[in-house]
This record gives sequence, structure tokens and C-alpha cells, in this order.
Amino acid sequence: MRRLLHIEQVKLLNYNPFRITLGIYFIAFTLGLLIYPAVDKEIPVISLSDLFRFPDVWMFLTWVTEPYNVLLALIIIMITTKEFNNHTFKTQLIFGLSRTELLIQKLLLIVVLAVFATLLLGLTSLTLGLIYSYKITFKIAMENTLILSRYLISSFAYMTMGLLIALLIKNTALSLLTFLAMRVFVDPVLFLVLREYEVKWYLPFRTTTRLTPVPNLIEIFQKKVNSSETIDETALDLLPKGLPIWLNTSLALLYTGLAIYFSYRLIQRRRFT
Amino acid sequence: MKEILSIRGLSKSYKNVTAIQNLNLEISEGQAYGILGPNGSGKTTTLSIVTGIIHQDEGSFNWFGKHPHANQRKKIGSLIETPHFYPYLNLIKNLQIICDIKGISYKDIYRVLESARLAERRKSRFSTLSLGMKQRLGIAAALLGDPSVLVLDEPTNGLDPEGIAEVREIVIQQVEQGKTLILASHILSEVEKICSHVAILKKGELLANGPVKELLAEDEIIEISCDRNEELKGKLEGSELVNEIETENGLLVLTLNGNTTPADINAFAFSNELVIHHMLSRKRSLESQFLELVKED
Repeated sequence: MRRLLHIEQVKLLNYNPFRITLGIYFIAFTLGLLIYPAVDKEIPVISLSDLFRFPDVWMFLTWVTEPYNVLLALIIIMITTKEFNNHTFKTQLIFGLSRTELLIQKLLLIVVLAVFATLLLGLTSLTLGLIYSYKITFKIAMENTLILSRYLISSFAYMTMGLLIALLIKNTALSLLTFLAMRVFVDPVLFLVLREYEVKWYLPFRTTTRLTPVPNLIEIFQKKVNSSETIDETALDLLPKGLPIWLNTSLALLYTGLAIYFSYRLIQRRRFT
Repeated sequence: MKEILSIRGLSKSYKNVTAIQNLNLEISEGQAYGILGPNGSGKTTTLSIVTGIIHQDEGSFNWFGKHPHANQRKKIGSLIETPHFYPYLNLIKNLQIICDIKGISYKDIYRVLESARLAERRKSRFSTLSLGMKQRLGIAAALLGDPSVLVLDEPTNGLDPEGIAEVREIVIQQVEQGKTLILASHILSEVEKICSHVAILKKGELLANGPVKELLAEDEIIEISCDRNEELKGKLEGSELVNEIETENGLLVLTLNGNTTPADINAFAFSNELVIHHMLSRKRSLESQFLELVKED
């Protein structure tokens, strides 16, 4: 395992597009989170900085940074398709890596990136929570931290889907476009088409997105104003309900498992000429 | 001798094109085995299968007497077609990756770069190398860890005459050290110079197979001339002394029957009152043997 990771490390730390994309990810991630509170505009009753207080900060930042996982998936697509373009999968095979090891190599990288992204999110949330919270107790601070595990799954799921698409298509530009099209166009359109049916919640990208759901903002703001007024129930309808968390997480894990299985099948069958 | 590679009934097709068909081959330790064939004969496909790049449709092969496994490839140094490395990495880093895959020390990198005369370019990116240098780096990578078996597919492809001589020298050195070599090439003289054994492929089928010396000695050819060539030709055609008679520049070129000697031909001509005034024994070159074998029906 360490050997496979070291091989990936040598390959990637010297690969400029990887360094640049990861740099963009890091900057966008941290800068974005620093900018949100800075542009805090007082609107009647509520303030944006309320969202950065414990324990709501975990839910809010997880939701806000979920799209950054797409960038991680694009990195995986880029480096996997480059192995095809440079015929380096072939080189690794003839010198003694097995086809399964080729896959494990990429999955290990995905795990490392997913853990990195989750740690980054965790540290940023903790920092912002400490800065903006009025009252900090361990119990309040740690409430909702379980969402980080779902973020980890979401990150892993995005990247394994990216890996599958890269192994299937092999061409960098086409793979990137396909992934983006599925995330940005196909999934929302299908969701819209199937809006009358419960099946809309079972779409692969939808289950992944729903791992980090939109926080209940109304509830958060209500807490802030400590209002006894009842909330307009129709406003709550704006928040998509979806599947229960356990089912949604199970489905996301199932799709991830399928993506790994099909990646395995593909890598076993591929001609690496 | 210890079995290194054993191929049994190997077949591979690409859609409607048969690349190799029921190929059987045994390669033993210490042999320098040449695989000869025109383009599309199945040389690269065969080597790609035994090095794990592609899967066969039928048949099987064993490395070192065992079912193929990725770990066996760590004991083999291979160069299949053009060498492919990470273009943005320098030579050392590229070879470090191979060392990591094979589980060997980085110390060997300098030895192989020296032997491939690339030590000075060790910090250059792979993408900046000339074709010849890339090919030499491919050889260097194959030599990492001092493997007991080398599998080289057209190792002199794209090289200038100087480069060809250099690569050939490296390969001959390895053979002299007792390594087993499997060399696919369409350069017949190369196979003749380096290899002890040869397999000739055509359209995916094995046409001939055996020691180069035996293949060369299979038919003895002599060229003769006498004062009445046509008459001698007619008489020889009616005899069982020769397999084939051709006329070349006023000379009769005879492919002798297995038991016939040049003295028998001389005696035959003399008994027919014909005096041979020119007789020269020719060894058929591997090239003519090869061309004859692979010529279109």
C-alpha cells in the first residue's frame, strides 16, 4: 500500500496541472470561507455570520463546500486519463504492477484526497466556529460533527464516479465534459423530469449531493431571533425533504461500491497498448 | 534446461483480424530467442500477452514454469514497442517509479543510466529526449534490478545506425552474461547476430522454430555451371538429387535433397558426360529463408 502511494506521490507532486488544480481547490476553499463572513450583510433580523456559529457551522460549511468535491473529481479524471494518454498504465503493468494494483493505486489516492478535503473542512469549520460563536461549550461545538463523515463519503463518491468515467472514456477533455454534464445538466434535468416520482431521490448524483443537505436556514434564524412566532409552513416546503439520512447514505455507498466494481471490471479488461 | 516461457495454443483476434493463432513456443533459460515476422505477423501481440498488457482469447502461457502472475514480471525486463514514461518527470524520477514497482533499491538507477549512456541526462525531463535516447531509456528501465529475462520488442526501432549499434551492443552483453532474451524484430541481421534460436511468424502462425544454426543448415544450396546448363538442368529435374533448381545469371542454383552432397552432383554430371566448370556452395542466409517462408502463397 505504502509503495503504491509513494508511486502516486512521485507522479503527482511533480505534475503541474495536479499542483495547480489542488492549489486552486485549496485557495478557493479557504478564501471562500473567509469571504462569506466578510460580506456579511445585515438583513432585517438575521445576519449571515449566524451560520458560522456552533453547532450550525458544521452543517452550513459542509453544504457550501460540497461543490468543491467536483473539483477533486476533475483532478482524478485528469490524472487517470493522462495515464492512458502517456501509456503509463502499460509501463507500470509490464514492470510488475497487477491490474488490481493499478486500481488500488488510484483508490488510495482518492482516500487521501477525501481525507484531506474533510480535514480541511473540519479545521475551517472549527476555526470559524471559534471566531463567531458567542457561547462555546464542548457539547455545542461537537454537535452535528457527524456531518463530516458524510462529507467524506460524498468526496469519495464524487471521485470514484470520476474514476469510472475516466476509465470508461479515457480521453481527458471528453471525460471532464461528461462528468460535468452529468453533475450540472443530466442530474438536474432528470430530477426535474422525475419530480412527481419518489425515484428522483435515487439518482446517483442526487444521493451524493444530499449527503450534505441544505441546512434548515429558517430554523437557524428562528433560533437567532428566539421568536415565538410560528414560521410560515410554506416557507419550509422550499427545503427539499428527500430520503431519510440512513437510506440516502446507504444509497450513496452502494453507488460508490458499484463505481469501484465497474472500474475494477474495466481495468481488468482494458488493452493497455 | 530450466523452462522460462512456455506458450501453448495461444490465440488472439481483433474483431475480424487474427493476430495470432494457436501459437506454441518453449523458451529455456539462457536462450536468445528471436521472434521474426513481417508487420502484422503477431510478434508484438505475442509479447504484449506474455507481459500482461493484453489478454489472449485462447491458450495459455507460463513464466518460470508457473501460472502467470504480476510478481513474475518484476523478474523480467521488458520493452514493448516504444518506451512510455511520464513526460514531465526526469529520468531519475521515472526510473524511481520502476524501482518502486519492482521493489528494488534506487542504487541501480545510476548503473543502468551509465550502461545506456544517459547518465548526463539524468535530470532531463523524459519529454526532452530524442527518440534514440527514449529507446535507450527503455532499455535502461528493462535492465533495472538485473533481471534474468529480457523481453525486447523492436528495441532498435527508430534509431540511427550509431544508436542501433549501441543498443545491439548492450543486448549482446546481456546475452553473454547468460540472460534469457526474447527479441522480436523485423531486422533479420539483428536476430542472426544476437539470437541462438528463432521463431518465424506469419499472419499469426508459427512457420518455423528452432536454433538459428539448424534453420540455416536445413537446406544446402550450390550454384553450378557447365557448358550445357539447360541439358544438365533437364537431367537433374528428372533425378531425385535436388529439391529445386533455379537459374540466376547463367548459373544453376540447386537446392539439394537432404542426403545429396555436391560430390554427388559432380558425379551425376560426369556420368551424363557434362563437365561442371563452376561449383560454389552457398549457405542460405536467414533472410532468404525468412523471405521464402513468409512469401505470399
